[in-house]
Parts: sequence; C-alpha cells; structure tokens
Amino acid sequence: MEHADWGTVYPWLVWVLTAMVGLGIWLSARGRQLHIRRLPAIDAMEEAVGRAVEMGRPILFVPGLADIDVPTFQAIAIAGHIARSAARYRNRVIVPVTNTVILTMAEQVLREAYAEAGAGEVFRPEDVRFLSGEQFAFASGVIGLMERERVASSFFFGTFAAESLILAEIGQRLGAIQIAGTPSTLQIPFFIAACDFTVIGEEYYAVTAYLTREPILVGSVWGQDICRIALATFILAATVGTKWLPPIIVKFLTFPT
Amino acid sequence: MLEPVRNLWLSGLLVVGAILVSGAVLAFLHQLAPPLRHRVIAVLTFLAGLYFPLEFFIPYHNFLTPWRNSVADFLRLMAAFTFGLGIINLLIIHGRHLLRWTSNAPFSLAFFSGFLLMLVIGLISHYKPTLWAQAVPKEAIGTVGFWDAAFRLFFEGALQSLNATIFALLAFFIVSAAYRAFRIRTLEAGLLMATAIVVMLANVPIGQQWLTGWIPEQSPLAWLRLEKLSHWLQTQVNAPTMRAIVFGLWVGSLAMAVRIILSLERTFTIGGQ
Repeated sequence: MEHADWGTVYPWLVWVLTAMVGLGIWLSARGRQLHIRRLPAIDAMEEAVGRAVEMGRPILFVPGLADIDVPTFQAIAIAGHIARSAARYRNRVIVPVTNTVILTMAEQVLREAYAEAGAGEVFRPEDVRFLSGEQFAFASGVIGLMERERVASSFFFGTFAAESLILAEIGQRLGAIQIAGTPSTLQIPFFIAACDFTVIGEEYYAVTAYLTREPILVGSVWGQDICRIALATFILAATVGTKWLPPIIVKFLTFPT
Repeated sequence: MLEPVRNLWLSGLLVVGAILVSGAVLAFLHQLAPPLRHRVIAVLTFLAGLYFPLEFFIPYHNFLTPWRNSVADFLRLMAAFTFGLGIINLLIIHGRHLLRWTSNAPFSLAFFSGFLLMLVIGLISHYKPTLWAQAVPKEAIGTVGFWDAAFRLFFEGALQSLNATIFALLAFFIVSAAYRAFRIRTLEAGLLMATAIVVMLANVPIGQQWLTGWIPEQSPLAWLRLEKLSHWLQTQVNAPTMRAIVFGLWVGSLAMAVRIILSLERTFTIGGQ
C-alpha cells in the first residue's frame, strides 16, 4: 500500500507496538530493573576475542552485504563493541565492507573504540577495507583475507546472502571461533551448521543491549518482548474469533487487496 | 518535484554553492561545543527520519508526496559522495603493497590490471565505441563493435564466469557443512535428519517415482507420497516457523529504528558512548 489505510488494523498496530517499545524505554530510564534472558552466543563474544588475543591473531568482523539499513546499523554497533574489547588487549579487528558509506561509518566507530580504550595507535585505517560491491567478489576477497591474515575469530553480523556459507566454511577450515547473527532467515541454517554460535531472529537486535546493559537499550528489548507476546496473542485471538466477529471487524483485521 | 536545471552555468553555480554551504555548515558544527553539536545532530536526524513515516502515515496523496522522488534522489546523492572513497581506499591499500613489493604484491598487481582494464574498456565502449575501430553498420544484425566485444569478453566472459565459479563452491561447502554438522545425537537432530531426507528425496525422480510413486493419488494413503509429505513439511511446519522468526525480526527492526530516529542508539553515533 502506498499510504497507510487507517481503516485496517496495520497502521494502528505499528503505533501500538512503537508505544510498547517506548514504554519499555521509559520504564527502564526511570530506574526499573527489567530482565532480558541469557544469550549464550553473546556470552561467547568475550571468549572469542580472548582467544584471538591469546593466539596473537586478528579478529575478522563482516558487517554483511546490505547498504545503509537498520540491520547494518546494528552490525556496526556490534563491531564497535568487539573493537572496544579487542582494543583493551591491543588486538586488531579487520572489517571488510561492501559499501562505501559503511566504510566511513565503520572506520569512525572503530577509531573511536580504539581511542576510548587508550589504544589509538594500534588502530590501522587499512584494517577497515572496501573490497567490492559485487557479492561474490566480496566473498572471494574476504576468504582471501581470512587465509592470509589467519584470523582466529570471525564475527558475521548483518544481512547476508549466498556467500554466508562460503565465509563460514573457510573460517571453520582455519579453526577460527565463529559467531554469527543475521536477520536473513534463509541464511540462518547455514550459519548454524558452520558457526560455533548463532544469534537468531530478534536476538540480533538484543545484542547491543545485552553487551552494554544500558537502560535505554534493555528497556527497548523488554518492549520488543512484550510486543511479540502481544502480537502472538492478538493473532491467536483474531484467528479463533474470526468465526464469531461481525464482518466490519473482520474487514478491519484483514489486509486490503 | 525538483526538476533538473538545464542551464549549464546555473547548474555549475548551484553545485559550487551547495559545496560551499555544506562546508560552512560542517565548519560551524565543528565550532560548537560537543553537547550542543550532539543535540543539533539529534534534531537533524529526527527531522530527516520523520519524512518517510509521515508521508506514509498521512493517508492518500498529501503535501509530502510530491517530494518523494526528490528526497530519494537526495539520499542517493549523499551516498554518491562516498563512492570515490571506496576506490581511493582500494588504490591506497593495493598501491602500498606494490610500492613495498610485499608478499601480497602479485595480488595487488592483479587488482590493478583488472581495475584499469575494465575501467578503460568500459569507458571507451560506452563513450567512444569507434575509437581506433570501425563503426558497425546499422543493417549488420548480430555484429558488435570491437570495444563492445571486448567489454562483453571481460564482463560476461570473465566476471560473470568467476561469479558463477564462486557460487558453485557452495555445492561442495553445503556437503562438507552437512557432513560435519549433522550428527544424530539428540531427538531434534534425528527429526532434522528425517525431514531433510524426506524433502531431498521428494525433489528427485528416485523419490517421486520409484519410492512412493506407486501409491495412487486417490487412495487414503496418498499423504505418504514423498512430494505430499515434503509439501506439508515446507508449508505447515517450515513456513510458519520462518514467519514467526520474521515477526520477531520486524519488531526488533522497529525498535531499533525508533532508537536511531530518537538518537537513543549511541553506540555508533558521533561521540560514541
């Protein structure tokens, strides 16, 4: 639909969900302790960074293939956290990118992360590299990078396509510890098969909240959880209740054709 | 809404003026104290991010709709500013390898060769196809000029073939990943293996025709046919699961978008944490 049809539930639903997320942020900002469950894949990130430090080999972080969009923003935010951890031990993080806008963002985020950790001189601008905008040219470049640099840990966060398994398998062959997270549902099975830890679905957007425990982010994740429970309840109730609901309500709940 | 300016001098003047104004705005932002600068950027982020949701949620054609194409063009222009950065980044990194003649220098030489070859051939075939070559007569159907042929040789003959080669690696990697990862140690792994076998067999003649092809379509046991089992698994089990994951992803994406537009996601914005 080109514009919102306020005669259907969908625009209203977006604002209700946004309000729930806002409620979580508000509650958390007021000091309320909100719980988010443990995520083993994210607990393993410190371990992965530590392993790379022990082996004296660099860390690889691939922020996916997409342009500037929400999953890529999340990937860059996660890259910043990994860089802060690595910078404490003066280890390198290599970030190959496929988009020039991401190149500038990633370089800035990593530079600041290293500077905050007091390891500004360790940061090498050439570690954030533009390889190619072509999918398989990028994949070839990344696997060449992994082989030459002998990375000890690989992080794959962002939107991926067919090259996901190529990247993960090469890392597997090198013996690197691999952690992946993607909103691309078709690539999740490949990452599960080839990576040591995988972040699935909405956990992808909870990573920064889990790592920083910043109240606003935790509140946002709590709000997301409430949204999902509400959505599931709503779908179940609407599906069961369609038989008894008046036609005008059913029309309101149905997607316009 | 915004039509291109036809006058060459006026359009040149506008470009130079836009660059000067942008430089002045950036210089002014750098002069501001960091807290004030962050506030200005947060306000600009909010206003910029407000356009598309506002244009969508106001029903029907509204006062913002005529600007949609112009705003999209503006976003593309901003991204185009960074286009040269990628090329400069590549040239610097590979140039350094060549100048110092490191162990990776041959790869950098290959990069420069491919880059310059495609650049030169692409530009000539597009802008000057008759350079040192004969023009192709209009009536000569199926004949291409020299530079067009050269471009096709490198693009379709080399680049696309190399793309297909890397893509083809997937077949082998799928086998190696499956062999390594699919060990039946738990009930879930066993279920996974069973469903994988059903779906795989249903897609090949040995499953469709030999194993269960003999079961009549109309019989009560027709559901045991592999293609029906596979269809059921994919539509009644796999598809709803994928949709459930997608629901979570879209809610998460909405939450992240709210944090970005309100500048609450500070982990990658200017100034960091």
